[in-house]
Amino acid sequence: MFDRRLYTHLDWSLLAAVFALCLLGLAMIYSTTYEAATGRVGPQLARQLWALAIGVVAMVVCLGIDYRLLSNRVALIYGGVAVLLACTLVIGSEQGGARRWIDLGPVNVQPSEFARMAVALALATFFGTSQRVRARGLDWVVGGLVVAAPFLLIIVQPDLGTAVTLLPVCLAVMVFAGLRLKLLAAIALVGLLLSPVAWMYALEDYQRTRLASFIDPERDPHGAGYQQIQARITVGSGGLSGKGFLQGTQSQYNFLPVAHSDFVFSVLAEEQGFRGVLVVLGLYLFVIMRSLEAARVAKDRTGLFLVVGITAGFAFQVIYNLTMSAGLAPVKGLTLPLMSYGGSSLIATLMGFGLILNVGMRRFAS
Amino acid sequence: MHPDLTDDRLSAARERCRFLLRLAQAGIASAFCVIALSFWSFQVGQHVRFAEMAENNHQRVLNLRALRGAVVDRNGDVLVQNRYSLDICLIREQVADLERTLALVADATGSDPEALRDALADGADVPVYRPVALIKDATQAQVAAVAARAFELPGVVVERNPTRHYPSGTIASHLFGYVGEVTDSQLRAATDERIRVGAVIGQSGVEHSYNRLLMGEDGARRVAVNSIGRELGTLEELPPAEGQPLQLTIDFDMQKAAEDAFAHAGFTGAAVALDPRSGEVLALASLPAYDPNDFARGIDGSTWSMLNNDARKPLQNRALQGRYSPGSTFKLVVAAAALQEGVATPDFQVDCQGGGVFYGRFFRCHSRHGTVAMDEALEKSCNTYFYTLGQRTGIDAIHRWATALGLGRPSGIDLPHEATGTVPSREWKRRQLGERWYPGETISVAIGQGSVAVTPLSLAVMMSTVANGGKRVVPHLLKAARTADGWIAADRPLPSSIDLNPATVETLQRGLWMAVNRAGTAGRARIRGRDVIGKTGTAQVISLEGRAAAEAANGDSRRFRDHGWFVFAAPRDEPQIAGVVLAEHAGHGYLAAPIARHMLETFFAKQADRPLPVLPPRARPAPADAMEADG
Repeated sequence: MFDRRLYTHLDWSLLAAVFALCLLGLAMIYSTTYEAATGRVGPQLARQLWALAIGVVAMVVCLGIDYRLLSNRVALIYGGVAVLLACTLVIGSEQGGARRWIDLGPVNVQPSEFARMAVALALATFFGTSQRVRARGLDWVVGGLVVAAPFLLIIVQPDLGTAVTLLPVCLAVMVFAGLRLKLLAAIALVGLLLSPVAWMYALEDYQRTRLASFIDPERDPHGAGYQQIQARITVGSGGLSGKGFLQGTQSQYNFLPVAHSDFVFSVLAEEQGFRGVLVVLGLYLFVIMRSLEAARVAKDRTGLFLVVGITAGFAFQVIYNLTMSAGLAPVKGLTLPLMSYGGSSLIATLMGFGLILNVGMRRFAS
Repeated sequence: MHPDLTDDRLSAARERCRFLLRLAQAGIASAFCVIALSFWSFQVGQHVRFAEMAENNHQRVLNLRALRGAVVDRNGDVLVQNRYSLDICLIREQVADLERTLALVADATGSDPEALRDALADGADVPVYRPVALIKDATQAQVAAVAARAFELPGVVVERNPTRHYPSGTIASHLFGYVGEVTDSQLRAATDERIRVGAVIGQSGVEHSYNRLLMGEDGARRVAVNSIGRELGTLEELPPAEGQPLQLTIDFDMQKAAEDAFAHAGFTGAAVALDPRSGEVLALASLPAYDPNDFARGIDGSTWSMLNNDARKPLQNRALQGRYSPGSTFKLVVAAAALQEGVATPDFQVDCQGGGVFYGRFFRCHSRHGTVAMDEALEKSCNTYFYTLGQRTGIDAIHRWATALGLGRPSGIDLPHEATGTVPSREWKRRQLGERWYPGETISVAIGQGSVAVTPLSLAVMMSTVANGGKRVVPHLLKAARTADGWIAADRPLPSSIDLNPATVETLQRGLWMAVNRAGTAGRARIRGRDVIGKTGTAQVISLEGRAAAEAANGDSRRFRDHGWFVFAAPRDEPQIAGVVLAEHAGHGYLAAPIARHMLETFFAKQADRPLPVLPPRARPAPADAMEADG
C-alpha cells in the first residue's frame, strides 16, 4: 500500500507545521496548568500527550488507506458516527447540563469532534461521485440532509459551538460542487433578516447575554462581559515581546478562565507577545495554504471536495478562536484546533490532516 | 458516458474550482492580516493601558499600620502603650456550613450566636477571602477555646491588631485623650500626608497635640492576588515605622494621688499641680473620667452616646475647659493689684464689722473680723477688707494684674481646646455688652464674684506666679521625645516676667501661709515642716435665694451646692509645687484642701523616697450640707 512514490509526494512541510503547532500547544497547556504553589503541572498535559500519540496513529491510518477506499465505505463511517452521536444522547455522561462525552473509563470521547470528518467525507463522496458536473435541485436537499442529521444530534446535546462548525464544511463543499455564490449571498441575507427572529425564539437566555455582552462588554464587567475584557487585557498586556513563559499574570493568577482550552492563544499572546503571535499566525496560515494546495492538485473531485471541506472547518475554527482570543468575538466554546487542550479534538484534527495529506500524495496514483 | 461529463464542461468546472481556491486563499490571507493588525493594536498600540489594567488585576497594596509611640511619665513609667488585640475572625470562603460554624464558635466562646450573626452581616462588604471579625478584642480564654477546637473550625482564624492601650484605665484620661479613625472633615483639613483614609489619629489630649510625633509612618505590602483575590505572595514590603515615644512631665503617682483623693472625698472636679520653677505639669486631673481604651478599638454607639449624654460631662476636661467663678482665691489678685499699683501698703488696715456700705449698698462679710491688715485679711478671707481694696484699686487695675498673673488668658498649655476665662474691665464690658461699668460691680469682683470666670489651670498658673515671685510660666506636658539618637529634651516654653515687688510677694505669701498654718480657712492642708501656703475659695453656683427655691422644687440639694476651691504651693521659701483643686459642689473650699494635702504629701514622700501616703478610711459618706460660707 505504501510505495516510494507516495512517500516522496507527502507534503512534509505541512506535516511539520502541524506538529509544530501541536508542540506549541503542549507548551501553552504546560504553562496554563502549572501551579506555582506546588510546582506541579495539571493532569491535562499528560492527557494531551496521550491524545497526541493516539492522534499520530490515527493520522497514519487515515494517511495510509487510499481515500477512495474510504470513500467507498462512507456509508459505514457516516452511519457509525451518527450512531455514536445518538448513543451520546442516551449513555453520554452529563457535565454542566450537557451530554457531550461518552465515558470509556480512563478517557472520555467526544463523538461530535469526529462528526466533521465524517460529514466532509460523506459530502465529498456524494458530490464527487455524482454524474452531474454541477449539482442541482435535489442534490442540495440530499447534501443538506447529510449535514442536518449530525447537526441536530449535536445541537440537542446541547453544543451549539461544535454543531456550527459543520456549516462551513457543508457550505464549502456545496460551493465547490456548483452552488452559486449569488445564491449563497441570498441565503446569508435571509439569515441576517431572520436573525431578530432567532434572537427572540431560537436562543437560550445565556446565549443572549453572551451576545449582548459582546456588543458592550463593559455593561456587565463581572458577569458575561468578564471573559472578553480579561481576554483583551491578557493580550494587550503581553506587549511586543511578552511577559515570558510561566510569567503571564493574567493566566497564572486565573483571571482568564479556561485558559488551557478556549483561551490558549490569549495566553500565548501574553507570555510570548506580538512576536509569538506572528509566528503562530504564520504557522496556521501556512497550514491552511498548504491544505488548499492539496485541494488544487487533487486527482479527482472527491479528493478536492474532501480537502476543501476539512480545511474550511479547520480555517473557520481557527479564525473564530483567534478573533475570540483577542476579545473581538463573543465567547463561544470553540477551541483552537491543534493547540487547545482537548483529546478528541486533537485526534479528529490530526485525522483530518491525515486525509488532506492522503489526497495530496495520491495526486498521481491510479 | 453521462452526457453531462463532456470535456468542455469538465474543464469549465475545473476552472471554477481553481478560481474558488484562489478566492479562498485571498479571503483567508486577508482575515489573517486583519487578525494580526488587531493583535498589533492591542499589544503594541494600547499596550500601556492594558499592562496597567493587568497590574491592577493582580496586585493589591495592603496597609501595614504603624504603632504609635509609647508615652512614659517623668520617671519613665509607662502611661500609654500599644497592645495587640485578638480578634476571632471567619473567612467565609473556607467555611462550608456558616450556621454550624457560628453555633460552634458561640458555644466555644460563650457568646451570643445572634451577636455573631450580626457581626458577620456587618462584614457583608468584605471579600469572601478576607477575614470578618466575629468577636473583637476576644479574651485569652475565648481564643484558647477556639484554638482547642480548631479542627472543627476551618476558616476561623485569630487576627492580631495593634491597638492603643492605656494600662491605668481612666486615670489621666483627659490628659492622654484618645485616638480614633480620622473623620472626613479632619481628612480635608489635614496637611500631614500620613493622615489618609482609615488612619487612626489622636482626637484629644496629648494624643491629639503630639499626634505629629506619636503617629508613625504606615508601611505597605504589595501582594499578588489571583482572580478571586486570594493573596499568593508578597511582591514588595515597606515596613511601618513606629511613632516617636514621648516622655511627659507628669508624675504618675501624683496624678493617681489627685484622682484617688477625689474618689475618696466623693467629688467631681479638677486638680492641677505644676512645678512653679519651670511650668512642668506634674498632674492634671478631671473627674468624672472616661476610659480611653473604649475608643482604641473604635467606640461602640451605646458607649459613645452614654458619654455624650451624661449630665456630668465626663468627656470635658474641666481643668482647662471648665469656667468657674474663682471666689475668694481671686482676693490674691486684688491684693497684688493694690500693692503693685500703690493704692495700699501691706499695713493698710480695715475694720470689719460684718460688712460695709459701698456705692450706697450694703455688702456683707461672713464674719466680724475687726481691724485686719492685709496678711490677716488673706488668712481669714475677710470680704470687707477686699471690698475696700477693690474700690481703691479700680476694675481696670484689677483686670491688668489678673491678666498679668495668668487669668483671663490662655495658659498656652500643649493640650487642645483650652478655654479662656474672663476678667472684666470697663473696656471689656463696653465691647461685650455695650454698657458702661458700674463701680458697684467692682465690689463683687473684688471677692471673685460677678462676671469673673477662670479655668482651674489658669488659677494654677496664677498661684505659681505668686509662689515663684513673679514669673508667669507656661504649663507644658512634653518633657522629651525619643529619636534615633536617644531622648531629646523638648524645648521648654519661656516664662514671662511680670515684675512683682518683693514686698508684694512677701505679703501675699505670708497671708497664704497664715491661711494654712494659723487659724485660717485652709488648715486642712497643713503639713508639718513643709510650709504649705494656700487659699480656699467658694464659687457660687446659684444665689442663696435661688438655691432654696431650687431645692424645694427639685429635692436634689447637691446640684446647687457651691464649688470649693483650693490654690496651694509649697514650700513657702523655695516653692517646688503649686496648684489648684476644684471640688465641684463641695460646698466650701476647705473640703478641697485635703485633696491638695494628699497630693502634697505624695509629692514630698516621693522626694524623700519615703512610702507614698495612704488615704485614711472614710469617716463619713459625704460632707454635711450645712456649711458656713466664707464668701
